[in-house]
Amino acid sequence: MFKIYQRFWQVTWAEQWQYRANLLMYLLYWLVSPIVYLAIWVTIAHAQGSVSGLTANDFITYYLTLLVVDQFTSEITIHILAYKIQDGTLSGDLLRPVHPILTGALVNNIASKVLNLLAFIPIWILLFLLFRPDYSSVTSGSILLAVPGVLTGFVLDFLLGAIITCMAFWTTRVYSISQFSNLVVILLSGQFVPLQLMPPVVQQVAGYLPFQMFTFVPVEVALNRLPMAALLRDYAAGLLWLVILYILFRWIWREGVKRFSSVGA
Amino acid sequence: MHTLRLLSAFFKVNLQMTLAYRVDTAVNLLLEILTLAWELLSLEIIFSNTTTLGGWNLGELLTLLGVFHLVNALMNILVWPSTDAFNTAVRDGTFDYTLLQPADSMFLVTFSRMVIWRVWDLVLGAVLIVIGFHMSNLNATLPHLLSFLLLAATGSLILYSLWIVLIAATFWFTKFDNNVTILQALLDTGRYPSTIYPFWLRIIITFLIPIAVATTVPVQALRGELTFTQVLIFFGVSAASFLVASRVWKAGVKKYSGASS
Repeated sequence: MFKIYQRFWQVTWAEQWQYRANLLMYLLYWLVSPIVYLAIWVTIAHAQGSVSGLTANDFITYYLTLLVVDQFTSEITIHILAYKIQDGTLSGDLLRPVHPILTGALVNNIASKVLNLLAFIPIWILLFLLFRPDYSSVTSGSILLAVPGVLTGFVLDFLLGAIITCMAFWTTRVYSISQFSNLVVILLSGQFVPLQLMPPVVQQVAGYLPFQMFTFVPVEVALNRLPMAALLRDYAAGLLWLVILYILFRWIWREGVKRFSSVGA
Repeated sequence: MHTLRLLSAFFKVNLQMTLAYRVDTAVNLLLEILTLAWELLSLEIIFSNTTTLGGWNLGELLTLLGVFHLVNALMNILVWPSTDAFNTAVRDGTFDYTLLQPADSMFLVTFSRMVIWRVWDLVLGAVLIVIGFHMSNLNATLPHLLSFLLLAATGSLILYSLWIVLIAATFWFTKFDNNVTILQALLDTGRYPSTIYPFWLRIIITFLIPIAVATTVPVQALRGELTFTQVLIFFGVSAASFLVASRVWKAGVKKYSGASS
C-alpha cells in the first residue's frame, strides 16, 4: 500500500513540475488582491490613526500573515478533476486502487502546494522587507496554536472544493458555481477585511459558517489577537463543519459516481 | 468603408455565437450582477469605516469603478478572447490564414473574435460613472469633462498597445503563451485610486503595466488635478505607444515562419 502512495506522489510531482511556469503565474494572480486590500486599509488607518482599534501595522501583519495561511489552506481540486468528470476520463481514475478525490486530488493539491512554496518564500521575504511589519505580538506558542486551525481550514476548503467539483456530475456550469462561491468566501473568510470591520450582522453570520477557518481565525490566532474562549469556540465549530462537509461529500460523491457510470453504460 | 463593413460582419458572426449559447449567456450575466453587488458591498464596507479613501469620496470611487468597468469591458470583449485565438493560431500554424486575408493582420487579430454579451459591462460602466459623478459633489468644468473622456480613451489605447507588444512577442518566443497573465493579474488594481498603493506598486502600474493610466488618471482629470500640459503629455504618449506597437507587430509578422511548413 505504501508503495502505491510513493509512486503516486512521484507521478503527481512530475505532472505539477511540468507546469511550474504556470504555477508562478497563478501565484502572481493570487498575490495582487490581498495587497490591494492591504493598501486600502493601511491608507485609511494612516489617515485616521486607526480603524475600529486596528492600526496600520495591525493591517500589515494581518494581510502578510494571511498570505502565508492562505498558501496552506487554499486548494485547486476543481482544476484537477472537473474536466475529467466532464469529458469522461474520470473512468480511468476510478479503476485505480486509490480514491480519485480523497487521495488523487489531495496528493495533487499537496504537490502543488510544495511547489508553490518554493516560489512563495522569496516573494514573501521581499514583501516583508517592503512593508516592514512589526511582528512583536507573535509568539512561538501562538504559531503552534494556529497550526491546528490552518489544518482544519485546509481540510474544510478541500472538502468544499471537492463538493463543488462533484456538482460537475450534474451540471456543466460548475465553474460558474465555483466563481460564485469564491465571491462569498472572499467576504466571509476575512480575505477582504478582518471580520471585526464587517457590519455586526455579517460578523455573526460569518461566525456560524466554516469560511472563517480558511483565513480569519488562523491569522488572528497566529497574531495572538483571539481570546482563548473565542478560539476554542471557533475551533469546535470548525470541527463540527468538518464532520458535516465530510458526510455531505461522501453522499454527493456516491450519488455522482452512480450517475457517471450510468452515462458510460 | 471597407473597414466598417468588416467590423459589422465580425460583429454579426460573434453575436450569433453568443446567441447560440443562450443559457450560458444568462448564467454569465447573473454572475456579472453578483460581481457588481460584491463590488458595491466592498465599497459599502470601506465607507462604513471611513469617509474618504486617500482623499477620494464614495462618489469618486464609484466613478473610478465605472471607468474600471469600461477598461475591463474592453479586455473582456476584445483582448482576452483574441489572445486565446491568437496563441492557438500561432502554435498550430493557422495564423497563416490570417496573413493571407486582404486586410491588416493587426486589425484582424483584434476584431475577428469578440465576446458580445460583455457589451453590458460598457453600459454598466457608463451608468456607474454618471451616478458616481453626481454623488461626488465635483464641480467639473467642461475642460475637465473633456480631458476625462480624452484620457479614458488614450489610457485604453496605451493598454491596447501594450497588449499588441505582448502578444507580438509570441512571434519571437513561441512558447510564451503566458503573454498576457501579468496584465490580467494587475488589472484588479484599477478598481481603486493608484495613489493609495505603496510606491513600488504605483511605479509598476503607472509605467510598466500602465493600468492606472487608463483608470485613475482620467478620474484625476475629472477632479481637476491635472494641468493642460499633463493631459497633452498623456495624449502624446498614447500616440507614440500605438506607433511603436504597430512597428513591433510588423517586425513580428516578418519574423513569423508558420508552424505548418
